[in-house]
Amino acid sequence: MTQHSKARVLLFLGERWSAFFLLLMLVVFSLGAPHFFAFKNFSNILYFSTLYVLLAAGETFVIITGGIDLSVGFVMGFVNVSAAIIMRNLHAAGHPQAVSMLIGAAVGLVLGVIPGLINGLLVARLRVPPFIATLGTYGIANGVALNMCEGFPIYFLPPRAREIGNSFLAYLIPGKSFSFFHRPQNLDAGDLRALTGILPATVIVTALILIIFAFILGRTKFGRHTYAIGGSMDAAIRAGINVPGHLVRIYIISSMFAAVAGVLYVFRAGIGNFTTMSSSYELFAIAAVVIGGASLMGGKGSIGGTVIGILILMTLETGLNITGIPSFYRYIATGLILIAAVVIDQLTPERRTLSA
Amino acid sequence: MPDASVRKNVKSAGRVGRWLGRNWALLFLLLEVVVFSALGTRFLSLENLQNIFVACTVVLLLGMGETFVIITGGIDLSVGFVMGFGAVICAKFMVLLQAAGLPQGASIPLAALICLLIGLVPGLVNGTLVARLKVPPFLATFGMYGVAYGVSEIISKNTPISGLPSAAGVIGNEYLLYIVPRKMVSFLIRPQNITRPEMRSMLALIPIIVVIAFIFVGIFAFLLRRTRFGRHTYAIGGSIDSALRAGINVPSHLTRIYMISSFFASLSGVLYVLKYVTGRADAGSARMLDAVVAVVIGGASLYGGTGAVKGTIIGALIIATLETGMVNLSIPYHNRYIVIGGILVVAVLIDQFFPELVGRRE
Repeated sequence: MTQHSKARVLLFLGERWSAFFLLLMLVVFSLGAPHFFAFKNFSNILYFSTLYVLLAAGETFVIITGGIDLSVGFVMGFVNVSAAIIMRNLHAAGHPQAVSMLIGAAVGLVLGVIPGLINGLLVARLRVPPFIATLGTYGIANGVALNMCEGFPIYFLPPRAREIGNSFLAYLIPGKSFSFFHRPQNLDAGDLRALTGILPATVIVTALILIIFAFILGRTKFGRHTYAIGGSMDAAIRAGINVPGHLVRIYIISSMFAAVAGVLYVFRAGIGNFTTMSSSYELFAIAAVVIGGASLMGGKGSIGGTVIGILILMTLETGLNITGIPSFYRYIATGLILIAAVVIDQLTPERRTLSA
Repeated sequence: MPDASVRKNVKSAGRVGRWLGRNWALLFLLLEVVVFSALGTRFLSLENLQNIFVACTVVLLLGMGETFVIITGGIDLSVGFVMGFGAVICAKFMVLLQAAGLPQGASIPLAALICLLIGLVPGLVNGTLVARLKVPPFLATFGMYGVAYGVSEIISKNTPISGLPSAAGVIGNEYLLYIVPRKMVSFLIRPQNITRPEMRSMLALIPIIVVIAFIFVGIFAFLLRRTRFGRHTYAIGGSIDSALRAGINVPSHLTRIYMISSFFASLSGVLYVLKYVTGRADAGSARMLDAVVAVVIGGASLYGGTGAVKGTIIGALIIATLETGMVNLSIPYHNRYIVIGGILVVAVLIDQFFPELVGRRE
């Protein structure tokens, strides 16, 4: 009896350790680091999380099926560069800003399907191991992006793009004014400093997409099939699931998420840029998914867990920055948290063995 | 009678096909050499060919360690940053030992030795995590990837380490043999006091760095092919369960495998220091995936059980030839990513579709 309840406590803690860890980290940094506990800072953490969380959400789908997608970081760069080039050229040709932005974003998203389709066909139809198939598209997407931009950022985009990417849902000057969507103009220096944006537009877009896909994963047949394939490919086939077709769609979802991240990047930065070799987006995305409770063997994972995983990594980075600790400690901390995540997962009792 | 001859034709065609399938990587390497020689300028010169070998050392050494790991069915993502860690440790100790007043002849080999010893630690940790705590190799070595990078940035204080003993660069950039036609032959020592035309006609043969690399590659190729250790490595990759049942001490064998991998990574860190006379945390960062690619092009399967040193050497040479050839033709460097990505996928497709060609059964 006591042993049973002890196991229950262990299970409860083990399954939610990442949420507790995030809370603990927020408390520690809030107490220990000056200016950490500030609205603007929390807003910044969300703002910087958007790209990573989109990549990680796509990765979640792939990892649940027992695969891996190494190409997401460079697919993001590829879409980013293509969308930016189209926006720049249309803008230079004298088209209205809205038209050039819309066409650029749309073409970027459509192009983003291609790497996923290739990955999916290689993995599902040609039975190439996911690690290798996506490592191939990793190189190809990177090379194509570098070829298109010749290794330089792409400037002269429609100026509205950057305004939209950095807008907020609402603006507040404490004790003075509050407005939705429209940034107050003609402010003096004091007001400008006090001006607080509430909910960045990119965060809202990201949150909407995540909610939709969390619903798809958690509540639809598509989601149940995804878990089924990851749990046991053979059983999924025997249950009549069209596994190859499903897997192709999963890899397309992953690269679509990367494409959305690439387009958001253009709006946020106001320039197009390729993904540098050293940025390791894909590895941080994978780390977040695993910290969020997924297993590389497949069958486990959730969007909510992944969001917590990314928030842990980004809170850590922001907290270290604010306390003035050099940023490379982030690598050590990420590595240690990752290993801890897996070891905790190993030590947590299985729900199945408990109920039996 | 016609029947038999047809059958014979089919049989020999099968044999040719099998040979092609098994050696496609070698043929691709030859094709590369032919194409670049035809299109490039002085590609087929002795100097350039030696440069290809120098260029392949890093991928070859990282790939050697990765070969052992991949044969057991694992993967080591940390090799690139363990190489940086090795480079930083080696450079740091050279500076420290020199400051302690040791002569250059002692401080350089001593620092290299210390570095190779410390370089076993990341492998020990990886191996323990994988073998004893059952952490998936991808995650254990990815954790080490972050930790090794962070630690080497801390040791190097985020800047390349300078002030190394001046003799360090000699080993890394000199050749085994110098021949000045009709005048002299000299081992290891670059001829001094020769005239300018003689200098131009001088042949420098076999870079020392390549010799060091191939000595270690040779030793470990022997270990993999001819010893019980090697047979156990393949056995574990073939099936862990049957390896366990056959009485192999799998956990300790796996730990040693990951230590071999990080040994090779820190060795390439040492060679980096000898060549560039500096230590940087990011010395090998971009090379980790190249190493995996070389091993896979060389015929290893990520599911374990297959792979050979010969294949990895060819894989590393394919990458190095491609890079050197593209520089020769002044093709923008980033096209290498496209070509290598393409080769990688083709390599696996050949492996998947013609298992009988590659000599493997389903």
